[in-house]
Amino acid sequence: MQSIRKYISSAWQALFGDPVRAFGVVSLVLLLALAVTPTKEHFSQWHSYQRKYLSLIRDRGDAVSMRRRFEPGIHQIWMPELGVVDRCTTCHLGLSEASLADEHQQPFRKHPAIPHSVDGFGCVICHGGQGAATTVSEAHHSERDGEAPILPTRYIEAGCGQCHQNAMAGTPQLNLGRTMLARYGCVRCHAVTRPDGTKMMPTDHPPSLVHVADKTTREWIYSWLKDPQAYAATATMPNYKLTDQDASDISAYLISSSKPQPGDTSAASVKNASAGSATNPADGASLYGQSFCSSCHAVQNAAGNVVGGDVGPELTRIGNKVKPEWLNAWLNNPRIYDATTPMPHYRFTPRQIATLADYLHSKTDADYGANVQLAAATPQQIARGRRLIIDGGCAACHEINGVQTPQNFAPDLSTIGSKPLAQIAFLPGMEHTVSTYIVSKIRQPRAFGGAVKMPQFALSNAQTDALTTALLAQTGRSRTIPDTLRVAAAEDTNYQPAGHAGKLMTELACFSCHRINGRGGDMAPDLTYEGSSVQRQWLTDFLKNPNTLRPSLIRRMPRFNLSDSDNKELTDFMLAVYQTSAVDPDTAPSATNPPQVVEQGRQLFYSKFACQSCHIVDTKTDKGYIGPTLTQVGSRLTPAWTYAWLKNPQALRPGTAEPNQKMSDEDARALTAFLMSLKGTSGKGAKQ
Amino acid sequence: MTTKTDQIIEQVRGSRVWRSVFRSGSGNSTLHRALAIQQNVFLHLFSTKVRKRMVSFSSTWYLGTLTLGTFLILVVTGILLMLYYHPSVPQAYADMKDLQFVVSSGLFLRNLHRWSAQLMVFLVFAHMFKVFYRGAYRTPREFNWVIGIVLLLITLLLSYTGYLLPWDQLAFWAITVGSNISSAVPIVGSKIHFLLLGGNQVNANALLRFYVLHCVVLPLTAIVFIAIHFWRIRKDGGLYVQQSEPRAQAAAAPPLPAKETK
Repeated sequence: MQSIRKYISSAWQALFGDPVRAFGVVSLVLLLALAVTPTKEHFSQWHSYQRKYLSLIRDRGDAVSMRRRFEPGIHQIWMPELGVVDRCTTCHLGLSEASLADEHQQPFRKHPAIPHSVDGFGCVICHGGQGAATTVSEAHHSERDGEAPILPTRYIEAGCGQCHQNAMAGTPQLNLGRTMLARYGCVRCHAVTRPDGTKMMPTDHPPSLVHVADKTTREWIYSWLKDPQAYAATATMPNYKLTDQDASDISAYLISSSKPQPGDTSAASVKNASAGSATNPADGASLYGQSFCSSCHAVQNAAGNVVGGDVGPELTRIGNKVKPEWLNAWLNNPRIYDATTPMPHYRFTPRQIATLADYLHSKTDADYGANVQLAAATPQQIARGRRLIIDGGCAACHEINGVQTPQNFAPDLSTIGSKPLAQIAFLPGMEHTVSTYIVSKIRQPRAFGGAVKMPQFALSNAQTDALTTALLAQTGRSRTIPDTLRVAAAEDTNYQPAGHAGKLMTELACFSCHRINGRGGDMAPDLTYEGSSVQRQWLTDFLKNPNTLRPSLIRRMPRFNLSDSDNKELTDFMLAVYQTSAVDPDTAPSATNPPQVVEQGRQLFYSKFACQSCHIVDTKTDKGYIGPTLTQVGSRLTPAWTYAWLKNPQALRPGTAEPNQKMSDEDARALTAFLMSLKGTSGKGAKQ
Repeated sequence: MTTKTDQIIEQVRGSRVWRSVFRSGSGNSTLHRALAIQQNVFLHLFSTKVRKRMVSFSSTWYLGTLTLGTFLILVVTGILLMLYYHPSVPQAYADMKDLQFVVSSGLFLRNLHRWSAQLMVFLVFAHMFKVFYRGAYRTPREFNWVIGIVLLLITLLLSYTGYLLPWDQLAFWAITVGSNISSAVPIVGSKIHFLLLGGNQVNANALLRFYVLHCVVLPLTAIVFIAIHFWRIRKDGGLYVQQSEPRAQAAAAPPLPAKETK
């Protein structure tokens, strides 16, 4: 003890013994302290990354030019109008170095090719994170004070979606997610506003339940409510995890509140045309096929695969669901039961209706709902059913008698992508990111507490990721970017053709598949310029009996059994109205041409432009399946359209796969002449 | 060597320029040394002459001087920080982060300011405890004790206003809570709250107000009171040292309990 004390006092004497010495020692300590800071800066993370980069490029072939492009020090991309200060390029030095394509280690990997330059947009606009930071942990992972970590790469398309509200070829996941938001009823409960203030509108068609008793039974509704996916694997209705009593009460209310409408089977008692004569099931199957029902409706085959389109409901167990008389009435004219259905009015004959109805009714699963026995409901149970419907927000999607459509039923998701982490109640053990939160919320909504009303959706991982991507694109930043950078969503117009033809087109539900003047589906060709494009005779014949134009497509135009007058009405309307000024009939070549010009066109077709790689002219030799078959193109298209199309396909149909070959006028004329010579069903034109 | 250096120093101190600045002139006499203190604008606040034991470590632990030291560090680092800081809502937090990310030695600067501030609060309290337990607050120094209390309040207010400036979550909520305390004052509480924040909640106006208070109003007030504080030391008879007190007063003081038990 004594010695320690002695030691300390002698040390004190040596260091601070007299004022001069003490001053010297203190100065030295201060100097050292001041030296620590620059030293620390020298050994900072970004310095060491820049040194690593230099040693990485040292041994490369183009080391000299790469080193010339390298600038030491902190790099910064500053865009005041976007509020961006990005210093990411301080460490990510090889982002635009083409020769680093083989480098897979971050931070020196080359950025994949995108339409934007790093200097023009910076990094955090798309990737998120803290652009101003100069350490990895601060830039990538910081969660403090409203900061959010960078966007996981699997959701990176969300970055694009902040400016681009339209569907793009490079963002399939985002496109799918947005489509699903509209198709799975998400936007019926949750408001999702785009940065330009427009609301995302639903594109699904949840059936109205105001006269549901006409269509189905309480027992089926009960089974459906308990588990929609048990009825149809592709059902978009989510599972509300209802108890038996809940499902029983809700079904009781729906049936008891259902009121017959004019035209209902119960009221109008449509005559069952099949009465008396049995139909052949094989006929039913072939009529189902001929009518291309599977373009819209899916059926699960014996192997368990769901085959068919997803526009209409799956029909695997349709026999369990609908009443026979309702099905007859529906097949006769679906618009009587539901005026807004996307299903066309087929104009089947009574015999055809009977055949198809019997065929569909054979699609019955004897096990489905077999043990559902519901006792007649008491008024209390019906009242409870109504309360459950109001609580569950059923009327957000379905029209139900006695229940109002709820407004703002679920939280607004317009800026969910930048929701502050501090405001999120994460589950224990969950990674603290918005993306994880959204994924968990979609996968297991009820895991976030018993009071959560959101139902259980049956979604694949890819679908969940797509939805998450679309929601992550809804950020606060997307609302502050300049208008000039925004690309608006391609919204459907409310185009409605006029007159009797317009009525016909509504009845035939043309817009379910075709797009005209910015409205309609994308299943079939855009018909905006159909009048300029095709010949009268062909259109008349095609509407009478559609033949296959594009062999590679599964979905095809069904036959509608139009009367001759209706057919003429529709043909006249389309030829007169759906015209484009881009096609000038006066300057175009004529339909008939001298043989040497036709021969010249054939040479161009097969050699110079190699059109046979996508199109078929001679069914024996040509193998092109990508574009439409051209064996009869001479009797289908007008010469003027063909000529204009050959000159610039994209001008007539933006986004078409046909390349712009930049043909000379002479080549285009010769090719048009050749194509116009292809008239026959026997391929006569090609053989000449 | 030493004599040569001394000669040069003597020469400089005797030059006209030096004499025009420091009027006391060269020389080692008591008069000269007293003049050096008395004729300096900063030093003349202090006594021209003090007893050696007054400035010994054990009598004060230099706590007041150390507090002044931290205050000077805070002024210097604070001015440097002001060069990098905008008291505006979108900029304040980013500027604070930029000190860390890109300003050379910026983090050192900020940490120096921050730790000195913490240390100053600690030293002020230590200084007051030392004064209190040694009984140095008693007559004739009671007014200087009151000045000291004012300086304590200024120190705490400086600390509090500085807390908002980083504009992070901690700052925001701390000031929200802190300013709400002022609303508890009867009758005028909500007015004070409004005046303090320049609004009803912590926002751009509050940030600007706190910035002005922190960088202009409070430091200037502190300097004025520090000057008075130092000046009063001389006026009240120098630093308190027990043995230096006149006998009569020492007798007048109540006897210590330790003495009583003996």
